[in-house]
Amino acid sequence: MKFSKKVVSLLALLSVSALVLTGCGGASIGNSSSNSSKVTKKAKKDVKVGVSLSTLSNPFFVNLKKGIDTEAKKAGTKVETFDAQNDSAKQNNQISDLITKKVDVIIVNPVDSDAIVTSVKKANNAGIPVIACDRGSNGGKLLTTVASDNVLAGKMAGNYLEKLVGKNAKVAELEGTPGADAAVQRGKGFKQAAKGKLDIVTKQSANFDRAKGLSTMQNILQAHSDVKGVFAQNDEMALGAVKAIKSQDIKIVSVDGTPDGLAAVKKGNIDGIVAQEPKAEGRLALQAAYDHYANKKVSKNISSPIHLVKASDYK
Amino acid sequence: MNNTTETKAKGSFDFGKFISKLGPLVALIVLAIIVSVLNTSFLGINNIMNLLQQVSINALIAFGMQFVILTGGIDLSVGSILALSGAITAQLIVSGVSPIVAFLIGVACGAVFGALNGVLIAYGGAAPFIVTLATMSVYRGLTYVLTNGNPITGAKMNDSFSFQFLGQGYLFGIPFQVYLMVLGFAVFYVLMHKTTFGRKTFAIGGNEKAAFVAGVKTKHILIWIYVIAGFLAAVAGMVLTSQLGSAQPDAGTSYEMDAIAAVVLGGTSLAGGKGKMSGTLIGALIIGVLNNGMNLLGISSFFQQIVKGIVILVAVLLDRKQAKN
Amino acid sequence: MKIEMKGISKSFGKNEVLKDVNFTVKSGEVHALMGENGAGKSTLMNILTGLLDANGGEILVDGQPVKYHDALDAEHSGISFIHQEMNNFGEMTVLENMFLNHEIKNKFGILDMKKMRTQAQKVLQRLDVDIPLNVPIGTLSVGTQQMIEIAKSLMNDTKILILDEPSAALSEKEIDSLFDIIRGLKKQGVGMIYISHRMQEIFEITDQITVMRDGLTVASYATADVDVHQIIKDMVGRDLSDFYPDRNPKYGETRLEVDHFTSKGVFEDVSFSVKAGEILAFSGLMGAGRTEIMRAIFGIDRHDSGTIKINGKEVNLKSPYDSIKHSVGFLTEDRKDEGLILDASIANNIDLPSIDGFVKHGVIDQKADNDFVEMLIKRLTVKATSREDLAGDLSGGNQQKVVLAKWVGSGSQVLILDEPTRGVDVGAKREIYDLMNELTDRGVAIIMISSDLQEVLGFSDRIAVVYEGHLNGEIATKDATQENVMTLATGGKLDE
Repeated sequence: MKFSKKVVSLLALLSVSALVLTGCGGASIGNSSSNSSKVTKKAKKDVKVGVSLSTLSNPFFVNLKKGIDTEAKKAGTKVETFDAQNDSAKQNNQISDLITKKVDVIIVNPVDSDAIVTSVKKANNAGIPVIACDRGSNGGKLLTTVASDNVLAGKMAGNYLEKLVGKNAKVAELEGTPGADAAVQRGKGFKQAAKGKLDIVTKQSANFDRAKGLSTMQNILQAHSDVKGVFAQNDEMALGAVKAIKSQDIKIVSVDGTPDGLAAVKKGNIDGIVAQEPKAEGRLALQAAYDHYANKKVSKNISSPIHLVKASDYK
Repeated sequence: MNNTTETKAKGSFDFGKFISKLGPLVALIVLAIIVSVLNTSFLGINNIMNLLQQVSINALIAFGMQFVILTGGIDLSVGSILALSGAITAQLIVSGVSPIVAFLIGVACGAVFGALNGVLIAYGGAAPFIVTLATMSVYRGLTYVLTNGNPITGAKMNDSFSFQFLGQGYLFGIPFQVYLMVLGFAVFYVLMHKTTFGRKTFAIGGNEKAAFVAGVKTKHILIWIYVIAGFLAAVAGMVLTSQLGSAQPDAGTSYEMDAIAAVVLGGTSLAGGKGKMSGTLIGALIIGVLNNGMNLLGISSFFQQIVKGIVILVAVLLDRKQAKN
Repeated sequence: MKIEMKGISKSFGKNEVLKDVNFTVKSGEVHALMGENGAGKSTLMNILTGLLDANGGEILVDGQPVKYHDALDAEHSGISFIHQEMNNFGEMTVLENMFLNHEIKNKFGILDMKKMRTQAQKVLQRLDVDIPLNVPIGTLSVGTQQMIEIAKSLMNDTKILILDEPSAALSEKEIDSLFDIIRGLKKQGVGMIYISHRMQEIFEITDQITVMRDGLTVASYATADVDVHQIIKDMVGRDLSDFYPDRNPKYGETRLEVDHFTSKGVFEDVSFSVKAGEILAFSGLMGAGRTEIMRAIFGIDRHDSGTIKINGKEVNLKSPYDSIKHSVGFLTEDRKDEGLILDASIANNIDLPSIDGFVKHGVIDQKADNDFVEMLIKRLTVKATSREDLAGDLSGGNQQKVVLAKWVGSGSQVLILDEPTRGVDVGAKREIYDLMNELTDRGVAIIMISSDLQEVLGFSDRIAVVYEGHLNGEIATKDATQENVMTLATGGKLDE
C-alpha cells in the first residue's frame, strides 16, 4: 500500500520536525518583556479592571461578579468581565487579550489552578498585577488570593452533619466536578471531619450540577437505601438531591450559600449550609486592587468569610 | 429538476466563482479591518502573536477534520482524543518518561484512537456521526479513568524545557505552536492537493460508489483519514497540555464543534468532495479573530456566543446560496 | 386545448440555448419532440411549465397569451410534466405519494383517507390499471411507478401531458401497457408531448414529430409522412449512412474465461469466454441477472463459487482494485450513481483508476496527468470547454464518453459495458460504436450488456442470453434474429 506508507512517513515527519525545531537556536519559553516599574498611584475610577471567571452558569460566580460590579459602580471603575465557560484554554486566551488591552489589574477566578500558571506568568511579564479569586494559582506571582477556606468549609459541614445524624451513621457524599479545586478541598475537609465519626458508604460525582445531583442521588438511594445523611459539595447538587430524597428522613448539608440554597434552608429542605459570601469575595478582590494602586500593602492571602446557616435556626 | 445539464450556461458565473474562491478570505479581511478600526491594539505585534497562538490548536484539529468532512463524514471524537492523548503523555512524563518520548507515544496513541474510529466506520459500516459520538464518550471516559478526574501535573512537566517549549515556547519571537500549525498546514496541504491519497479522499466524498468501482480502496483510505484526524487531535493535545502545564480531564470539550465550524467557514461542503485546505486555515483564523476581537472590544461572553453562531450561519447560508446558482 | 409557443428564445449568460423556437401541440395529439441532448428540448419544456423564464417570444393557449410562474401554476392550468427521474418517496405508500402536497383534508385538518382512496381508484380505473394503494411505492417496478406518476397528473384534470423519456427504464411489456395508456388518453382528448430517443417508439405511438437542433426547431412532420433516416438527418445535421457501423472482427487469444460462476439466489453456474477483438453481447429481460453477473466478476459484489481466468491465468478478483490491476474495466449501468463523480471535474473522473501511475517523488505529476487527460478527451471527442468542467454539467452522451475514457485510459483489455448507449443521443451513440470498433481492433475484448435488441443484433459478434440467473444459450450474431433471442430470453430453447 503505497499511500499508507506515505501517510505514515508524513505523520512521522511532522512529529520529528516538531522535535527537531525544539532544539533550534533562538528558542525561549515565554515572550519575556520584563517590566518591573514601580506602582504609580491611581484613583479608583482610573483603575481599568479585567475579570475572567471560570463560569457564569453557576449562581456563585454570578454573585461574585455582582460583588465586583456593585463595588466598581460606586467608584466609577471600568470593569470588563469574561466567562471562560470552564475551559482552561479559553481562559488563557481571555487573559492574553486582557493583557493586550493593557488593563491595570486582572482578577481571575481560575478554571484550574495548574492550567492558569502560564497566564499568570504572562501577566507578570507584562507587569500587570493578578488577583486570584476563589481558587489560587500554582505558580507565577499573584498580588493576592481571595478565597474562603474550602477545607475548613468541608470540615464544618462534616461536623454539622455528624451532629445531625449521630456518630457512625451511614452517609453519602455528592462530589463536584472531578479535579476541581473546590471539590478536592471540600472533600478533604469533609474526610477529616468524618474520620472515625461517619461511615461514608459512597462517593459519587454530580459535577456541581443540580440535574446531575438529582439523578445521582436517585441512584445512590437505589443502592444504599439506608443512608442517613448526605454531604453535597455545593448547593446546586444539594438542591437536586432534595428532589430525589423527597419525604425520607435524610439530612443534607452543603457548602456555598447561593440564594436558592439559603431559601431551601429556610424551608427546611436543606438542613445546613456552610455559606460563603461570593459578593464579599468579589468586593474584597476589587478592594485589593484599589489598595494596590493606592500604594497600600496587600496581604498575600485574603480570606473571605464563611458561616454555618442551620435550618433549625428558622424553626 | 430534470436534465438541467442541458440548460446550464458556461462562463457566466465569474462573480460567483470569484466569491466562492475568495469568500472566506474576504470575510477574514473585512472582519480584521472592523476589529482593528474599533481597537487599535488588535494589529499590535503582540496581539497578532496571541491570535496565532490561540488559533493554532483549533487549526491543527480542523486540518484533520477537513479530511474527514471531505469524505462526507464527521469526527466528533477529536476533543476526547485530544484529552486522552494529552493525559497519557502527562502521565508518562510524571512517571519519569522523557517528554520527547512521551510526546511521540501520545501522538501515536491519538493515531490509534483515530484508526479505531476508521475501522468501525469502514468495516462496521456504521455512520461516522454515530461511531464518533460513541467513541467521543468512550475516550472521554477513559480520560477520566486515567486521570481519576484530576488534572495531571507535576514538577517533571513544568521543569522540563522541551515539555514547556511545545506550548509556551517562542522561536524568534513567534510562539512555537504557530510553527507547528504552519508546518501542519504545509504537510497536509501537499497530502490533500498534491498526492493520490488526497485525490482519492475527494473521490470518496464525491461519490463513494463510483470511487470504489474506479479501483479506490475506499475502506483503507477511510481508515487512514480517521488516523490523520486522531493524530492531529493528539498533536493539538500535546500543545494544549504543554500550554496549560497540566493535562485537564475535560480538556478539548466541544473542540470538535470549533473545528467543524472552521472547516465549514472555509468553504468545505459537509456533503463531502469539495473544499480547500487554505479555506480551513482561513476558517480557523476567522474564528480566532472573532474570539480575540470580541474580547478586545469587551463584548460580553454571552453575546460572543450569539455573534459566533450568527457568523457561522451567515457564512453557510451565503455558501449555499452561491452553490445553488 | 391548443398550445402555441412562438419565437421562444432563452440564453444563460452568453450561451444562447434557444433561438426563435416554434412549437405547437393540441388536444388528442401525441407530438414527439426530438433532438440530441443539448438541443434545447428540456429548456423548452421548462419554459412551458414555468420552471424557467424565456428571454423572448410568447406562449399562447387557445390563442390567449399566458405565463406560468411555476410548475404548480402550469399544473393548475392543465399542463403536467412527467420527469424522466421520478421523485417518489420509496418508503411511503402509493396513495401517500399520489397525494403528496395535494392531500385532501377534512374540516379538522385531518387527512381524509377514504376520499383520497376513491379519487385514486377512479383515476387508476381511467388508465385501466390495477395497482395496490397501500404498498410502499419503492417495492413496485419502475414501469408501475411511471403509471402512478401519470395517474397523479390526471388527477389535476390534465389536458396536456409532457412525457420525458418515459420508456427509458421500462421492459418491453411495460412499454406495451404504457402505449395502451397513451392511446387511451389520446381518445379522451389529452394532448401529449413525447420526448424520446427511441425511433421505433416514436413511429409507433406519435402523430407528429418536431425535431430540434442547437436551439432551433429544424423541422416538423406528420409522423406518417417521414422516415427514420430523415429524422436522424435532421437531428444530427448530417446523413448517418448507417446506424450501426460494420463489424470486421479479427479474434485473438481468449481474454476472459468465466467458469461455473455462482452467487446463490442471484445467478447459477454461469460459464462463458470472450476473445481479444470480440464483442460479446449479453441479452435478456430486465432482472434476468446480467448486471449482477458482471458486478460479481468485477469484484463489486461477492460470489460463492466459480473461477475467472484472464489471458489463461486464474485470478482472484476480490475488488475493483484487483480487476483494474488485471486490466479489466467496467462501465456501470447507472453512470450517475456508480460511474461518475458528478461534482468533480472531467479530468478528476478520467484519471481516477490510473492515478497511482502518475506519482513522481510521492506527489502527482500534474503535467503528465493533464497530458493523459487531454489525450483521452481528444480521442473520445468529449465536448467540453475544458478538462476542469464538472462531469455533472455534461450531456448524457458526453458523460458516457468520460466514463469510457476512464476505462480506455486505465488500459482495459477486458471491457465490460453495461448499457453503454442508454440515455445517449444518436450522434454520440455512433461515436461510442466507432470507439468500440477501434478498441476491438486493438485486441480489447468487450462484453456489452444491452436491453436494446436492435443494438444487440446490430453491433455484436456473439450473443449470450441470460434467463433467470443462468445462461440459456449463445448464438453467433450473424445467425441471430429478434425471435430466437427473445425465445432464449423468455426461457425457451432453440431446436437445432
